[in-house]
Amino acid sequence: MSWFETLRGRRTGTGNPTLVLSHGFGTDQDAWTSLRPWFEARFDVVSFDLAGCGPMGAESYDFERHGSMFGYADDLVELMDELGLQRCTYVGHSMSCMIGAAAASARPDLFERMVMIGASPRYLNDADYVGGFEQENLDQLFESMAANYQAWVAGFAPIVVGVDDREAIADFSRTLFQMRPDIALNTSRTIFESDMRQAVLRVTTPVHLIQTSADIAVPIQVGEWLAGAIPNASLDIIDAAGHLPHMTAPAEVIRILERHLG
Amino acid sequence: MIPTFSEALYELCGFARVACDAALVMALEVDEEGRAIPVASSPPHHFTGFNLDKSGIFETGWSYLPLAADSFRLPTAVVHALPDRPASLLFVPAPVDHAPNSGLLLFWTTIPAPAPLVQHIPLLASSVANTLMTRREAARQMAMRDQFNDLLDSVPSGIVLFDGDGQSAVINKRAADLLAAVPGPHRARDLAAPMRALRARCDNHAALDTAYAAHVGNVDYAVSMHWIVGERTYDVDTHPVSGDGQHGRIWLFTDVTAELQLSARLRGLADSDSLTGLSNRRYFEQRSAQIITAAHSDGRGIAVLMVDVDHFKQINDTYGHPVGDEVLKAVATRCRGALREQDLLARFGGEEFVVLLATSGDDEAGLVAERLRQAIARVPITVGDVDISVSVSIGAATRNALDGDGRDVVQALVTRADSALYDAKRAGRNRVRLSASA
Repeated sequence: MSWFETLRGRRTGTGNPTLVLSHGFGTDQDAWTSLRPWFEARFDVVSFDLAGCGPMGAESYDFERHGSMFGYADDLVELMDELGLQRCTYVGHSMSCMIGAAAASARPDLFERMVMIGASPRYLNDADYVGGFEQENLDQLFESMAANYQAWVAGFAPIVVGVDDREAIADFSRTLFQMRPDIALNTSRTIFESDMRQAVLRVTTPVHLIQTSADIAVPIQVGEWLAGAIPNASLDIIDAAGHLPHMTAPAEVIRILERHLG
Repeated sequence: MIPTFSEALYELCGFARVACDAALVMALEVDEEGRAIPVASSPPHHFTGFNLDKSGIFETGWSYLPLAADSFRLPTAVVHALPDRPASLLFVPAPVDHAPNSGLLLFWTTIPAPAPLVQHIPLLASSVANTLMTRREAARQMAMRDQFNDLLDSVPSGIVLFDGDGQSAVINKRAADLLAAVPGPHRARDLAAPMRALRARCDNHAALDTAYAAHVGNVDYAVSMHWIVGERTYDVDTHPVSGDGQHGRIWLFTDVTAELQLSARLRGLADSDSLTGLSNRRYFEQRSAQIITAAHSDGRGIAVLMVDVDHFKQINDTYGHPVGDEVLKAVATRCRGALREQDLLARFGGEEFVVLLATSGDDEAGLVAERLRQAIARVPITVGDVDISVSVSIGAATRNALDGDGRDVVQALVTRADSALYDAKRAGRNRVRLSASA
């Protein structure tokens, strides 16, 4: 089976330049539903489910390979090579921002420009770096995920969505439940314990960063750090809350996309 | 053990990197599908697994010459582990059985002025392969030990395993609970006392001591015994196990209490009459032989009483079968109440009951029979809101001199008691008739 099939790849849209959509932790490619019409009118759109996510997540996930963000970056590179893509526009959310960064710095030929929504190269605070989390926060998170995944999802989903949007909370919970709990736990460890700051420094592709002004997973300082670290980056902080603005504030996100990709 | 072998590989990588002035050297375990596990690298770097299947590395014929990196597809993790974009690389195959694509991978970020030692790098291949093999074997043994421990604790029996060296032993959680010890490895001699203490606590320790004493000095003995510890019974199986050609021994403690109780209950069901709960004919025939043997050794006689409910058909016809069943149950209860613990009472079928007694005198059977008759007839039996007057006729047969087969004795007594019962019925019912002594 090809990577495109393994990751339930979809290719839609009527435009010409190719645009690759890569979703974040806990969702699948349906997270792009609200933005999809806008993309499809302008691009040749490729979307897929990250390993471990979506209805075939258990088949695509490898505990060894996907134990680091680079394993996902290899998936992305393989999928793009398989489709013969070059110089694409890449839109990533959450963990897919760093997947894109790792892929782009290893294979700059694949990417023309990138949009990163809710990106963080490191979630743990460090000297001179605010990631937003202390180790004990993460230990608690992993512990409650391992103890009772259902209960954890019920508490985690509304906090991450960050706004009182029942539909978005229901969608996010549904895709979280769809993940096998052991895979979800391993994935969140991989994300929250990653440090992609070195990888980010090597990105030469132009990047536009989008984040909300109140995101539980990504403090504003993180967006500012990235904007300063990536040689060719710009940052939009939109006046909205939550970690999933492409689902809860699509109009705001489209307004920015119009400016940068229109 | 594994870190030791990994360290050796780190040393090898470090040596190769310095000798060849490379930017990165990795020792990789790679299987047929190209799944690669980076075992060591210089500089040291934490890698997770990746796939080299489509990298182009294994389709290339390698000598000692590095090749341009842009003709290979490299994992993003490797690219990021380099200080700059890779310019050239060299693969030194070090195939091992389980991972035929294993080897050393060297990277340069500039096209190297060929370092004089690069051409000697393939000489490292066999060292890399040997170390990968040894490391794999150590990992396998560690995994086996882990698996063994998991297995040991998942078995629903207590396990005490003495190694063949006579020095060491291991016990699992269940055995540890029984022996009031800690699960895990022990010195063999430290377990001897708790094992003895457990056996001494058994209700049947004397029998066990005798049984095991018979095997002292025999290293090959295999025995399975029931150890009765208070309310629990353990099936304790012990047999030799060979480890390294030596004489080891395993003790398995399996709690069979529930099993024994269940089989006793099932046996009880097979032996009893479902309506009255009394013994059935099958059990009566089986058990009577034992009673006769016991009576014989005590020098006592035996007697059989045949008990039949009078006009039972009429009770059924008047009140219906459900009431008839209740009457039979009440008769059974009253009979049981009028007999001694050791007397055997069974329902023979229909409204007929049988009693087997060990007697100490000629008239004893008659007295017991009369007591039975009165117990039934004295007070009417109440079923629901009707009082039913019920009586029984009883035929009794006694035998003092005991010889011959127990079964025949009972058979003869039953026949004689039956004809005495017939006499009692004919004489007007609700009475006892004794058979003349044979």
